[in-house]
Amino acid sequence: MLFNSLSFILFLLIVLGLYYSKILNWTSKKRMLLLSSYIFYGLWNPPLVVLLWISTFVDWTTGKKLAVEENQNKRNLWLFLSMAVNLGFLFFFKYGNFLLENFTALANTIGFDYHPLKMDIILPMGISFYTFQTMSYTIDMYYKTMKPAKTFLDFSLYVTFFPQLVAGPIVRAEDLIEQFYEPKKATINQFIWGIFLLTLGLFQKVVMADTLLSAASDAIYNSGKIVSFWDAWIGTLAFSGQIFFDFARYSTCAIGISLMLGIILPDNFKYPYASIGFSDLWSRWHISLSSWLRDYLYIPLGGNRNGMIRMYVALMLTMLLGGLWHGAAWTFIVWGGLHGGYLILERLQKKYLPFSINSRNGIFLAFLTFSCINISWVFFRAKEFATAKNMLSSMFLLNPDGEKVLGLFDLLKVGVVISFLFICHWLMRNTSVKEVSKQISPLSLAVVWVIMILLISIAQGSGEQFIYFQF
Amino acid sequence: MELKKTLLITVVLSLIGLTIWEIYWRSEGYYPTIDDNKSLWAVQRDKIEALAKDDVILLGSSRVLFDIQIYQWEQVTGRRPIQLASAGSTPLPSFRDIVRNTDFAGTIIVGVTPGLFFSTTSPMAPPWKSIQEKVDYFKDFTYAQRLNHALSIPLQKNITFLSDVEGIDGINLKELLKKIKLGEPVKNAMPPFHEFSDIDENRNNRMTKKTATDTAFANTVKKVWQFFGKDSKPLEKEATMSYFLEDAKIFKARGGNLILLRCPSTGYYKIGEAKFAPRKEFWDVLVKRAQVKSYHYQDYDWLNHFDCPEWSHLSANDAETFTLALAKIMMKDYALSNRKK
Repeated sequence: MLFNSLSFILFLLIVLGLYYSKILNWTSKKRMLLLSSYIFYGLWNPPLVVLLWISTFVDWTTGKKLAVEENQNKRNLWLFLSMAVNLGFLFFFKYGNFLLENFTALANTIGFDYHPLKMDIILPMGISFYTFQTMSYTIDMYYKTMKPAKTFLDFSLYVTFFPQLVAGPIVRAEDLIEQFYEPKKATINQFIWGIFLLTLGLFQKVVMADTLLSAASDAIYNSGKIVSFWDAWIGTLAFSGQIFFDFARYSTCAIGISLMLGIILPDNFKYPYASIGFSDLWSRWHISLSSWLRDYLYIPLGGNRNGMIRMYVALMLTMLLGGLWHGAAWTFIVWGGLHGGYLILERLQKKYLPFSINSRNGIFLAFLTFSCINISWVFFRAKEFATAKNMLSSMFLLNPDGEKVLGLFDLLKVGVVISFLFICHWLMRNTSVKEVSKQISPLSLAVVWVIMILLISIAQGSGEQFIYFQF
Repeated sequence: MELKKTLLITVVLSLIGLTIWEIYWRSEGYYPTIDDNKSLWAVQRDKIEALAKDDVILLGSSRVLFDIQIYQWEQVTGRRPIQLASAGSTPLPSFRDIVRNTDFAGTIIVGVTPGLFFSTTSPMAPPWKSIQEKVDYFKDFTYAQRLNHALSIPLQKNITFLSDVEGIDGINLKELLKKIKLGEPVKNAMPPFHEFSDIDENRNNRMTKKTATDTAFANTVKKVWQFFGKDSKPLEKEATMSYFLEDAKIFKARGGNLILLRCPSTGYYKIGEAKFAPRKEFWDVLVKRAQVKSYHYQDYDWLNHFDCPEWSHLSANDAETFTLALAKIMMKDYALSNRKK
């Protein structure tokens, strides 16, 4: 079910009605939330709810065993079981065809005439999100950094909580499960602020991403042509804005909906396009994933504990796998590798060419970072390397005869929206929407809210999926 | 934060704003319409599983969609047909879908518009792609999409600004922005293509009164047909016919009743079709090879006296008359499964 759909509005009204009715006690409310979450997921493809159940059951059992088991070998086995099930699902459903294609290419290269049929596998929505979420619980239990969930209901709800089930944030068990222990109810201000965040999220998805930016990005990347310098940059900038509005605002909707239930989810995006450098970027972009990768991959790989070279290797491996998490294609791996390279270069600069950041060079450095991010987005958006190569050639003026695909208005429209986005991120770098809203009058806030509602209603859209559902 | 006050102002101002927006578009002559989208098609496609031997499915392009009025058909035959024809498309993929993916063995009436039926078997060609997307959409039609569709119908029926129409008559934000053109105008651009029919939730489609009565408006549609006619590609007669006949054979073998139908065209289209897809070489050959009942409008006085306001489709009133006449002729011929000899 999509947040930007009529069925979700109806669904949310029913859930809120039941949640705030007096006929249910807290346990019944949690049961209702759990059932609603399965309905939310199952309305897309009912049989795939079974995967959620298996994941839930395996990690609940593993967590319980790890809480009492002292024998290290047995603890390792339980951890292995959880990893095998969760990563097994992920590999089968998400990477099955990718692995088969690469195996086939390798076999053909070394002389075997092997041509298997492509497997007809459906990618379960949000599988990368919920498997990472459940794995974090098991790993924390393994390292004894948290207590086991009190009840199976609390744990099931943690795995399945509908606002963040299919596109994050990837919430840590300690941040969410404990909120389920005591009855929760939003204050009136929390509830209204939740509606505001839901509106803001929908505005950025329906109006900014789908209406203003997606067409330009699609026109360029699907054109199959070698495009001009301006078209290549505008197409990439449009994608840059589209993916931010699309993904960040899913998190905003999720946070808003949870807040309406009195449950707090952590921030997932903090104005990432105003980042100064790439360490800063990854503390602002998809924070829940980058912190997951840091805690469960980079640090176990040695982190910065084993010297510089090992640290760079760990960093690069983390980013390559981070790239692969986003999609089963080599272009995603290159995207991750580019970010790994950026992070290594930044650390080298900090070590050998340190300089202080001030108000004068800050915006320049943020712009430089934003430009490098855009170059990496080319690999993320292009479906194959040939497209990426053509786009980058055009962006670096190597295709002087590139075709003009976009009209003047489209170029201006994307240029204005992305400039606005960058400046907005720069101005909001050290604050938040909530802080800003506290400083303006109720009327001004209402006017902003009304504009968003009117534009969502006028744009409405055909309910295009959030890009990140495919991850 | 005084959020209660903010919310109250927001609700009031939003209602005022949306009411003004609705009134504005109505004052401009727009009215609520149902969008002929993939969900609308998929809902009809979904009904096939429950159909009986006596039921009728309509396939084809816009001519079947405009010219067969399902309620008039029901009046004569006692069965309301399932309208699955789709504008600008070839019926080959939808026919294959029904033949291969269902066990329907009733009547399928396939409209043959020569320029589309014989156009292509290439999956990426627009006449194929547009209907194949609907077929594929149905295969993955989720419960959430079904619910969205059901909830959207009352809204579409009552609120003008929710129109999802594309092109010159589009009034959603994306379409309004598309109308802004800066810089040099595009050479040989497509003439403005206005909406000229309305569809209901059962996919019964009727030409608008304006198209039937306002010659200047009908001429805008004619200009679009001429624009498309300029770049039309050579027909793939053999490939399309073989593809269709393969499925026709399977359908007939399981007891299905296949009927071919050629709806009227006039003026530019009639001349063009006679020149590029002459009846003897296309229609007659198809009928002979398919060995099924067939109805060509030129063979019946009752079907041959209509004038298409924009050369390709019948006005709503004429479509009703055409449908009544056609259904009666078919009943008289015992061509339909519910009328046995």
